[in-house]
Parts: sequence; C-alpha cells; structure tokens
Amino acid sequence: MLAQIASGIGLTVVITGASLLIGALLGLPLVAARRSAWVPLRTLATAYIDIVRAIPPITWLFLIYFGLPQYALRLDSVSASIIGFSVIASAYMAETYRSGLLSIPQGQWEAATALGMKFLPRTRYVITPQAFKVTLPAIAAYAIALLKDSALASTIGVHEITYQAGLVSRATHQGLLAFSIAGLLYIAMSIPLALAARRVDRVLRQKLEVA
Amino acid sequence: MELATERTASPPTVGGVKVLGLHKSYGKHAVLHDVNLDMAEGEVVSIIGPSGAGKSTFLRCLNYLEVPTAGTVTIGDTTVDAATRRPDRASLDRLRRVTGMVFQNFNLFPHLTVLENITLPQMKVLGRSREEANAVADSLLNRVGLAAKSDQHPARLSGGQQQRIAIARALALSPKVMLFDEPTSALDPELGLEVLAVMRNLADEGMTMIVVTHEMHFARDVSDRVMVMADGRVLELGPSEQVMTAPTHERTKKFLRAVLDR
Repeated sequence: MLAQIASGIGLTVVITGASLLIGALLGLPLVAARRSAWVPLRTLATAYIDIVRAIPPITWLFLIYFGLPQYALRLDSVSASIIGFSVIASAYMAETYRSGLLSIPQGQWEAATALGMKFLPRTRYVITPQAFKVTLPAIAAYAIALLKDSALASTIGVHEITYQAGLVSRATHQGLLAFSIAGLLYIAMSIPLALAARRVDRVLRQKLEVA
Repeated sequence: MELATERTASPPTVGGVKVLGLHKSYGKHAVLHDVNLDMAEGEVVSIIGPSGAGKSTFLRCLNYLEVPTAGTVTIGDTTVDAATRRPDRASLDRLRRVTGMVFQNFNLFPHLTVLENITLPQMKVLGRSREEANAVADSLLNRVGLAAKSDQHPARLSGGQQQRIAIARALALSPKVMLFDEPTSALDPELGLEVLAVMRNLADEGMTMIVVTHEMHFARDVSDRVMVMADGRVLELGPSEQVMTAPTHERTKKFLRAVLDR
C-alpha cells in the first residue's frame, strides 16, 4: 500500500517544482511590469495578478484541462496542471518580489545610482541580494502551499500522491490508512522544506543584523 | 597622498561646478527658485540654512537624484540641461561619474563587507579588476583609518565608521566633486568629529566639495564660501568668514543667532 501511494511522490514533486520554477521566472517580468512607470503596462500587470489570484486553483485546472480542448488544444493532465499552477505561481511570486523590493530603503537605490551604477548592476548586486533575504520566508511558505495545492491535480487524473491514495482507498476500503499515509508523505516533504528555509533565513539574518 | 596620485591618473578636466537658474517644483509647490552657483576646482562651499530651505534638494539636483524643473548643471565638462525633455542617459551617467555623494544615513550596502562596499562600484562602474579595486580600497581604508574593518559588515560599525566608509566608497571612483548631504547629522557629536576630520583632510588636499551642513565651525573654518538658503532661495553667498560673522541679510542674522547662541 505504502509503495503504491509513494509512487505518486514523483509527480507531486514534478508538478510542484516545475510550477514553482516557471512561476518564479514569469514573476520577474511581471513584477517589473507591475512597478513600471508606464501606466497601461502597470494596469495590465495589476489586472493579471488580481484576476489570476481571484480564481480558485481547481477552477484554473478545469479551465485549462476541460476548457482549452474546445479550441483544439488538448493537453495531457500533467502539462495542464503545470501550466495552471505556473500561472497562479507567477502572480503570487510577482507579489512576493514586490513586497521584497518595497522593503529595501530608498537610500539603497539612491546610493547605487549616485555611485553611477546602472539599472542592471544596481538590481543585480545591490537590490536583489537584499530583497531575496526578505522574501525567502514568503517564497518557502508559498512553495509549501503549492505542494499541498498540487493534490488538486488528482481531480484531472494526474497520478500523484492523493490520486494514488484514492485508488488504494477504493481498492482496499481502508481510506483512513490510505489518506493518512498520503498526509504523512506531504508532511515528510514540507517540514524539511520549512526547516531548511528557516535555517537559510537565520544565516542570512545573522550576517546582516549584528551589532 | 594616495588621493593626489588618483587625481593625476584621471583624465585632465576642469573640475569646477556651474549651476545656472536651477528651479525645482513638485506640482505647484516650488522648492527651489533660481539657484545659481559657480565654483572653481578645489573650492569648498558649505550650504547652511533652516530645515526645509531646499539645501538637500539642491544637492540632489546636482547628480540628478532629483530631476530639476529648469536650469543647467555643469560639472567638469559635462552639462545637463533640465529643459531637455529627457536628459540622455549618457550625460547622466557622466554627471554621476564625476560626482561622489555622501548621505546623512550613510546608505552602505548592508549585505556586503566594508571592502566589498568599496570594490563593487569600482568593478561595475569603472570596470576595474578585483585586484585593482582591492588596491584602491585598501589605500582608502587606510586613509580613513579603518583598514582593520575591511572584512566586517557595516552593521558592526559605529555610525562614524560607517560614514567614513561611505566617503571612501565615493572616493574610490575618483570623483571631481564630492557632495555631502548633512554627513554628520545622524551622528553623536563625538562620532561626527572623526567624519569632519576626514572631510577636512579632503578639503586640504584640494577636493572640490559642496557640503550641506549644520556644523557651523566646519562651515566657517573649512569652507571657502558659505551659501545661505531659506525657502528655496539663496539668501547670500560669500566668503565664509564674512557670511558667518557679518551677514548682510536679516534672515541670515536670525538663523545664525539661533544656531550660534545656544
């Protein structure tokens, strides 16, 4: 029983990892647009972020998996879930980056600018390392939330942990055990993630905030 | 001494400052009215006056941290005219390259060590190698008396030490003009003294400096001229001794009485 449920770990990890990565990358141009001085671009980005976050994840999955085939875009369930979660993650990550950037004192931008550093080196070497420190806990929290949300992919037939537990439950009528095992597997994956993030966070903070 | 060699190594330009008809307003609210300043290379000008006078705004217009509404700023051989709808990036880059700025709150980069604070801009702005940048940083750290702190993060240092590092960071780019925005205002009086000592040395070595300050002794003893501002205007600009001891403007007299007779 454990073996069958655990066989879903691979897909759970793939969907979570891929969506987080794609979302993290898409979040970069998105936050740039969100902070743009050009109003139409900023409005568009704000609307995207708000709309994406207003729709429940499961609705997104159904929309992509059941909705797109009407336009002859038939996706397999794994791709559909990765696309759905990536879209959602991009909006959340953009907002996370934005709060990180807002936490950097204006003086840091000014000092780098006054030193003659241009936009890219300024962002890359002065702002990003500081913003990363601030956003890391939020990113880790979102990664864990996404890991749990990935269970929704079972509803469109992705053979991940929860889907496998469902199969086992129906076959053996031992639902309590099957879903408890599934729960333990999620715990086993999310707790180390949380601990690792806390550790990195502590190390980064120690480096900066000693007096 | 190190600074002297730095200067001769950079291309020969006239290091003076010329500001013509500088205006700055936020919407309808004008904060600078027709400010003019003409400085020779090596001159030190202190800007004093009550808070809200526009002193810092004026200084920040010189390197375009604030974009003036009108007027021209010339530093060395670079001129930027606010009338140009969008000043081209190249001129702004040049303007910032020839100016060094020191802020009230130091604004060191907290995630970098003292050494890295001084080397990063050199590598990214001037394209120096790490070795070159380290050598410049080492000599400057010696100059400001903080060579022993090079591997520390700024948070471990006192405010006075941080400000001396900030001065070293700006000097590392061999600016023609140094802009100081209330460099000692965030410091205990004692810590302020060590910063003022560094600035005094810099002035003695011939650096062109504009200093927004509330340190009246510095203004009188170190600067060549003092500019008094109030309500976004220049009240008077003259030899420091004369402005500080025999000001012509009634508003200046009132201000000086308030800061000196306490």
